[in-house]
Amino acid sequence: MKADVGQMGAAGPAAGAVMLEVKDVSLSFGGVKAIRGVSFDIKRGEIRAIIGPNGAGKTSMLNVINGFYHPQAGTITYKGAQREKMRPYIAASQGIARTFQNVALFKGMSTLDNIMTGRTLKMHKGLGWQMLRYGPAMAEEVRHREVVEKIIDFLEIEAIRKTPVGKLPYGLQKRVELGRALAMEPELLLLDEPMAGMNLEEKQDMSRFIIDINRQMGTTMALIEHDMGVVMDLSDRVVVLDYGQKIADGTPAVVQADQKVIDAYLGVAH
Amino acid sequence: MDFLIQTVWEGLVAGVLYALIALGFVLIFKASGVFNFAQGIMVVFSALTLVGTYEKLSQLGFKGFPAAMLSLVVALAVMFVLAVLVERVVLRPLVNQPDIILFMATFGLTYLLIGVGETIFGGNPKIMITKELGLPTGSTELVLPGLGPDGRNGLVLLQHIDIAAAIIASIMIAGLATFFQYTRIGRALRAVADSHKAALSVGISLNQIWVVVWFTAGIVALVTGIMWGARSDVSFGLSTVALKALPVLILGGFTSIPGAIVGGLIIGIGEKLGELYLAPMLLGSTMGRGVESWFAFFIALAFVMFRPQGLFGDKIIERI
Amino acid sequence: MFYREAGQFKTTYRDDMAVFPILQDRIGLLVIISLAIFAIPLLGSKFFISSVMIPFLVFTLAAMGLNILTGYTGLISLGTGAFMGVGAFACYKLTTYFPNVNIIVWILASGLFSAAVGVMFGIPSLRVKGFYLAVATLAAQFFLQWCFVRIPWLFNYNVSGAIEVPERTLLGLAITGPRATPEVRYLVLLGIVALMTWVASNILHGRIGRKWMAVRDMDIAAELMGIKMLPTKLLSFAVSSYYCGVAGACMMFLWYGGGEANDVFDINASFNVLFMVIIGGLGSLIGSFFGAAFISSLPTTLKFGLPAMGIPITGATAEHMTFIVTGSLIIFFLIVEPHGLARLWQIAKEKLRLWPFPY
Repeated sequence: MKADVGQMGAAGPAAGAVMLEVKDVSLSFGGVKAIRGVSFDIKRGEIRAIIGPNGAGKTSMLNVINGFYHPQAGTITYKGAQREKMRPYIAASQGIARTFQNVALFKGMSTLDNIMTGRTLKMHKGLGWQMLRYGPAMAEEVRHREVVEKIIDFLEIEAIRKTPVGKLPYGLQKRVELGRALAMEPELLLLDEPMAGMNLEEKQDMSRFIIDINRQMGTTMALIEHDMGVVMDLSDRVVVLDYGQKIADGTPAVVQADQKVIDAYLGVAH
Repeated sequence: MDFLIQTVWEGLVAGVLYALIALGFVLIFKASGVFNFAQGIMVVFSALTLVGTYEKLSQLGFKGFPAAMLSLVVALAVMFVLAVLVERVVLRPLVNQPDIILFMATFGLTYLLIGVGETIFGGNPKIMITKELGLPTGSTELVLPGLGPDGRNGLVLLQHIDIAAAIIASIMIAGLATFFQYTRIGRALRAVADSHKAALSVGISLNQIWVVVWFTAGIVALVTGIMWGARSDVSFGLSTVALKALPVLILGGFTSIPGAIVGGLIIGIGEKLGELYLAPMLLGSTMGRGVESWFAFFIALAFVMFRPQGLFGDKIIERI
Repeated sequence: MFYREAGQFKTTYRDDMAVFPILQDRIGLLVIISLAIFAIPLLGSKFFISSVMIPFLVFTLAAMGLNILTGYTGLISLGTGAFMGVGAFACYKLTTYFPNVNIIVWILASGLFSAAVGVMFGIPSLRVKGFYLAVATLAAQFFLQWCFVRIPWLFNYNVSGAIEVPERTLLGLAITGPRATPEVRYLVLLGIVALMTWVASNILHGRIGRKWMAVRDMDIAAELMGIKMLPTKLLSFAVSSYYCGVAGACMMFLWYGGGEANDVFDINASFNVLFMVIIGGLGSLIGSFFGAAFISSLPTTLKFGLPAMGIPITGATAEHMTFIVTGSLIIFFLIVEPHGLARLWQIAKEKLRLWPFPY
């Protein structure tokens, strides 16, 4: 099973053009250098894993990609256009969606409302119609509810549709968060440790969802994950960061055999 | 020119008092994360207790300095009991609630203290027992050669109590700083300020710390009340003035003691200058009166737009 | 037994998205509305209507307004009183310049002025949140209060320095001014409150409401999902201030009437509305009703209720008692149910659904 999925991944749809190119990006907070001159690219349709020990700058990298942090040096080219200093909502409107390391759901809202919020960018009826909640506003609401229900079906969370997300167990929260990101119909999906803190069964479910999203919807993904088994199985290419620097880049098999990667993970005698 | 110096001096004195109220705020906010809206009322309440006790004693024929000292002890004791009660009745059951809930609880405390204070001491303004406490009264006229209008000698009036207030405030702040820096409880306080959970895990008693902090804030409140009462009188009208401590906090940052002091002085001087120069510009010198009532908040507002973390705060890095 | 949703199947998303999906709730709502329209004006005394029901409805509007901002968008404001004042003065000026336009139109329009002022003072919300923002809104409170006193144009240069409410009619019936009966004023107010509650519920259940709650619950995640902070927060300020402004206009024209002082729009009004929102329940429309009912009726209850129960009480003591009781009740409620009366209501409904079984 393991090898099977791995081979499929390697032979998967990862043959598209470069979608996002990160070039010589550096980011520092005060004196702390979080990222130092990292370059890599993400090709359309692939699952790109970003791995590395704790504090290697993985989450910071995602934050740079979706415009939450602004790098001091380097360029980011997305869909052929080099991007200026930008706000996160622009990244969202360009089709970059994201899940978070520590679940960042809207705790006071139900599962349904959380996922509906993901449709915000696609809903346009103004305050006037919203005040009446009738006619076009209601029609729009129903139309997007249908899309959201499809996502709910896909993620198998029908039963918790109207539960406030604050009351859900961790694994389900992660799943709702994935649903919320999917509702944005992203072209590039950034997943920050989607399987952290999950048991084996939940991990298998989540892996299945990730593969299905990639295959069925053709969504490009950048994935941070600590579970090496998962990374090797799911990803088409892997970039390895350590202390903010890139130490390896390539297919899972290549990266796995790289001496620097082994040193970074296991430590090395000086 | 002498008029300007007088205004700045007045502002400075008001600023010291704002800083003292803000200091009480900062103490409690640092140690318990509670935005203590009742600090202003605690100032009035403690001063009322002091004056009210003295009145009762003088009715019994016990007057003068010893009676004033006894009243001071009683007022301190009342503030201690208040600290214990607040910890027992308000903070302990509300631990781990969101900040806004605790903030609202201090609103409730404010109302409670106003009600209790007025029931016991009546709603009329009282005169502070400045002389009986051994504090200086009277004033000195400072002659500033050549600084008056048309090159004549200028005059600046300095109230002795204001000078005393500035000195006492400095001593108290120095004392607090020493207490925080060098004692066991002070260290525990700083630990709690950084993280409640971590402090608990090394065996610091949160409840004890909270009582200490609220009592300290109570002492600060009493000192503030005496100083302020000596300048005007002791009444609940002061609690609106006490809201001026809030812009001070914005300027100085909610957790910085030096910030509270510098912020207090800036706000005090700023609003007096605003009254002097801005009021005539806005609506003429008679109609424009009372610019003081909001100018401090506008200073804070303008400040917030450019430096949201306050004068001494660190740059906020948002994480996700 | 009678409160069951079993058997009520939804076959369309539209049905499922209704504000009151359960039949029994809809019946209950109808009963309450008809009681409010028919029973209270017919059976309630003039005193009850003018000093219990009208204050309750006015504060409900204000509490709804603040709840939109604080409960749904997570932005604390201490300037509610001033925003109400803007509404009152705007309404006064409008009806002075255009006396022939119906006063109800002006009451509803006056909120727009509050909305504009609210947006202006909402701009700092982009940079700061929490208590820092609360202090920033105090600037609005004190500045506007100062304007109300210092700019005589606002109160038409009246010697009293206050708004003097003129008589305005609807179909020949006086609805403001000294000749308007409590019943008429109550019914007009009821209409306004019902309309605005319905609109608020619609907004909050839709796209805009979700955006606000997203900003409240996790602003960073909201922005990463394409929600722009500034427009979202400012819209919340605008709608919230609109409600407060209308509440202020209603307060002056339908409650206080002529010749009352302007200091009703002071900081204590802001605090009172905030109490209502907190005690009623942050982020709950029905909570605004509960909170307003509770806090606005407390002084009256103490003043007239205690003597009726045989506890003698003077005016001054009653005032002190109000402070003590309000203060204690706030603390008590926060300890017992920090999520407010609305949560108690929800729990009661939950229990009723299962009754007579405990689970």
